[in-house]
Amino acid sequence: MTATAPAPPVAQGDAPKPALLELRAIDVFYGRIQALRSVSLDVADGEIVALIGSNGAGKTTTLHTISGLIHPSRGEIYLRGQRINTLGAERIARLGVGHSPEGRRLFQRMTVRENLEMGAYARRDREGMRDDYERVYTLFPRLRERHSQLAGSLSGGEQQMVAIGRALMSAPSVLLLDEPSLGLAPVLVDVIFEVIREINAKGTTILLIEQNARLALKNANRAYVLETGSISLSGPAEELLNSPAVQRAYLGV
Amino acid sequence: MTDLAVRSPVALLRRVTQPARSMGRRVEGRSVYLILTLTAAGLVLLGWFLPWFVGPFTAGTGFSPQDVVSSAPTGFATVLVYVMGASALIVVLSPLAELVARLRKMTLGVRVDQVRAIAGAAGLVAAVLVYVLVGVIREEPAFGVLSSTTITNSAVWLTMYGFGVALFAYGAKGLVLTRPNLAFAIAALPFGALLPLMFHQAPDFLLWAASSLAIYTLLALGLNVVVGFAGLLDLGYAAFFAIGAYACASLSSPIHGIHLPLWVLIFLGAAIAAIFGALLGAPTLRLRGDYLAIVTLGFGEIIPDLATNNVFNLTGGPNGLPGIDQPKIGPVDFGTSPQWYYWSIVAVTLISVLLLRNLQRARVGRAWVALREDEVAAAATGINTTTTKLLAFAIGASVSGLAGAFYGSMLTAISPDAFQFQVSIAVLSIIVLGGIGNITGVILGSFVLTFVIFWALPHAHEWSATFAHNFNVSAVGNINFPQYTYIIYGAALILMMLLRPGGLLPSRARRIELQTGVESESLAAVQGRA
Ligand SMILES: Nc1ncnc2c1ncn2[C@@H]1O[C@H](COP(=O)(O)OP(=O)(O)OP(=O)(O)O)[C@@H](O)[C@H]1O
Ligand SMILES: [Mg+2]
Repeated sequence: MTATAPAPPVAQGDAPKPALLELRAIDVFYGRIQALRSVSLDVADGEIVALIGSNGAGKTTTLHTISGLIHPSRGEIYLRGQRINTLGAERIARLGVGHSPEGRRLFQRMTVRENLEMGAYARRDREGMRDDYERVYTLFPRLRERHSQLAGSLSGGEQQMVAIGRALMSAPSVLLLDEPSLGLAPVLVDVIFEVIREINAKGTTILLIEQNARLALKNANRAYVLETGSISLSGPAEELLNSPAVQRAYLGV
Repeated sequence: MTDLAVRSPVALLRRVTQPARSMGRRVEGRSVYLILTLTAAGLVLLGWFLPWFVGPFTAGTGFSPQDVVSSAPTGFATVLVYVMGASALIVVLSPLAELVARLRKMTLGVRVDQVRAIAGAAGLVAAVLVYVLVGVIREEPAFGVLSSTTITNSAVWLTMYGFGVALFAYGAKGLVLTRPNLAFAIAALPFGALLPLMFHQAPDFLLWAASSLAIYTLLALGLNVVVGFAGLLDLGYAAFFAIGAYACASLSSPIHGIHLPLWVLIFLGAAIAAIFGALLGAPTLRLRGDYLAIVTLGFGEIIPDLATNNVFNLTGGPNGLPGIDQPKIGPVDFGTSPQWYYWSIVAVTLISVLLLRNLQRARVGRAWVALREDEVAAAATGINTTTTKLLAFAIGASVSGLAGAFYGSMLTAISPDAFQFQVSIAVLSIIVLGGIGNITGVILGSFVLTFVIFWALPHAHEWSATFAHNFNVSAVGNINFPQYTYIIYGAALILMMLLRPGGLLPSRARRIELQTGVESESLAAVQGRA
C-alpha cells in the first residue's frame, strides 16, 4: 500500500476486507534513535501477513509496538476499529493479541504445562481453556509428552512450540509470530509452518516475521517489506516473491 | 501425641492449600534433610549438654542436669539423663550412618526413620521430664522469672526444642507423611504452640523468646514476598517495620492521647506499611537488581534518620516513643504475662503463613513467578506488570506492619536504633539462609539466624570464659567475641553460600537456576530504557 521507496509495480488486488489490525503512520523511538518511521500496515481477518526485512529493519519493534510493550510516539493502532496504541500490554493481550516473541522468551523455570497456563492467564473460561490445552497438544503432540518438563531444558524446536502454544492459549484473534523458524532444522521448520497454516485455517489471523523471506512469502497471503524502519514494499505474497527487487535483496537470486 | 499433632494440621493445611494444582508443588531432595538433621542434632546436643559447661549461665533457667544426677533420688532421674544422652547420640549418628551407607551405595529402609523418630521423641520427653523434675526437687517453678530486658535472650531454648520436634517430624515423615517439606513447616511452627502445654506453667522467658522469634519470622515472611516471590531486591525493609511500629506506637500511647486497641492497630499498621510499600514501589518500577537495591537501601537509611531527627514532632527523636499501651481486654492483661502476646503473635504468624502460601499459589503468585522469569513475556501474556510489582511491595510491607504493631506494644517503647540497616540485613540474611522464595525455608532460616544473631554470638564470650575457667585454658577466655560478632556472622554466611547457595531449603526456582544457570530478563531493556 505505502510505497515510500522507488515503487516497483506491485498490485493490490485484495477485496476490501475490514482490517482486523491496522497501524497508521507509526513512529517509534528508542531514546533518540528512531526505529520506525511512519509505518502503516493492515491485517485483515483470516489472513497470514508476513513482515520481512533485513537485520535491524525494525520488525521486532513493530510487533512490540502492536502488543503494547513499546508505545509509539506518533501514529495510531487499531484492533477491530478500537484504538489500542495507548493501552498497556496487558489490556492489549486481553483484547485478543497473542504474541510469540523473538527468542521465545519462555518462563524457563516453569514446566511446559505451566507455560501454557501462563498463556491463559487473562482468561477465566475454564471450558474454553481445557479445549485449548487439547488443541495445543494436538497441534504439537510433542508437548503433550513433555508437559511436565521444565521449559528451559527443552530443545530449541520444542521451545518454539511452547512459545507458539503459549500465545495460542490466550485464544487470540490475531497471533504475532516473531521468527518462529529461528535456529530450527529444516524438517522442524516445515512442521512449524504446517502448524501455522493449520492455526490460520481454524480462523486465527497471523502476522508473521521471518528472516527467511522465501519461506515467509510462500506461506503468507500478503507481505510487507521493512527497510531501516519504513515500509518499502507491500502486496500479495506471490507478487513479491516474483518481484525483481525482492528477489535481489532478500531471496538471493 | 506428636503424631496426631503433626498429622491433623497437615490434613488441614492440605485442604486449605488445595487450589494449587500444579504450581508451587515441591519435593525436596533428601540431602537437604541430611544437613538439616546435622544442624538440628548439633543444636539439640548443645542445649542438652551446655549446662555442664556454663554453670553460671544456667542460674536463671533452672536447668541443671548435674542437680538431677547428684541430688535427685537415684534411679529415675539418672535413667532419664541417660535416655537423653542415648537419643541424642542416635540422632547425631544416624545422619552420619546414612552418609556412609549412601557412599557405599546401600539403601536404608524405613527402619532408620523409625529409629530416628523414636530417638527424637524419647529425647524430647526425657528432656521435658528433667525440666519438670528439677522444678519439683528445688520446690520452685521449672523456670524462674528472667528479667525481660532482653527478650531474645533465651530464644535458644525454644529453638532447640523446635528443632527437636522438627527432628521428630523428620523421622516420622517416612512413616506418616508423603510431603516431608510441609511436614517440617508444620512441625516447626506449632512447636511454640505445643510447648507451653508441655510444662506446668508457661515459662515467661520462653514466651518472650517465642514472641520475638515470631516477629523475625513475620519480617522474613514479608520480605520474602518482595525478594523471593517477585524477585525485587529490597535492602531497606526495616523501614517498613519502622513505619508500622511508629504508626502503631503513636496511636496507642499518651503522646497524642490516642489509645487504639492492639487488634485495630495490627490492621492499621499493616495498611500504613502497605501504603508506604506501594509508594516506594511506584518510582522504582523500572528498576531491577542492583539499581532497585540501591534505591531501597537509601530508603532504609532515610526512615530511621527521619525518626532520629523527630520530623514533625511525631517520632520523639533519638529516644523514640515511650509508654506504649499494653492492651487490657477484660481479665486478659497483656502487661502481666507475655503469654497473651505470645498466643496472639503465634496466631497472626500462622494466619500470615497460610495467607502467603495461598497467595503464592493464586494468580498473583503465578504472575510474580512469571515476572521474575521474563518480564516481557509476562506483559505479553496479559499480566499487568505495574500492579503486580506494586502488590508485591505492598503485601511485603504490610506483613512488617503486623510485626511493628506487636513489637512496640511488647517492648512498651521504641527507638530508631531498632530499625537500622542491620535489621534489614538480618532479615535478608534470614531468607537467603533459609531459602529465598520458599516459605518453609524462610521460617527455618528465622529460627537459625535468630539463634545465631541474638543468642549464640552475644553469649559466646560467656561460654568461652566459663570454659576457660573450668578447663584452665586461659587463652580461650580472652577472646573478645562481641568484637568479632559480625566477622563470625559474615563468615558463616559466606560459608553457607558456598556450601548451599540456595539456602537450607531452596525454592524450586532457585534450585533450577543453580543447576542450569537460567536467569531472567527485564522489560525496561526491551524498551531501551535500561
Ligand atoms: N531496546 C532497544 N534499545 C535501543 N535500540 C533498540 C532496542 N531494540 C531495538 N533497537 C534498535 O532498533 C532497530 C530495530 O530493531 P529490531 O529489533 O526491531 O530489528 P529486527 O528487524 O527485528 O531485526 P532482526 O531481524 O535482527 O531481529 C535496530 O537498529 C536496533 O538496534
Ligand atoms: Mg527481530
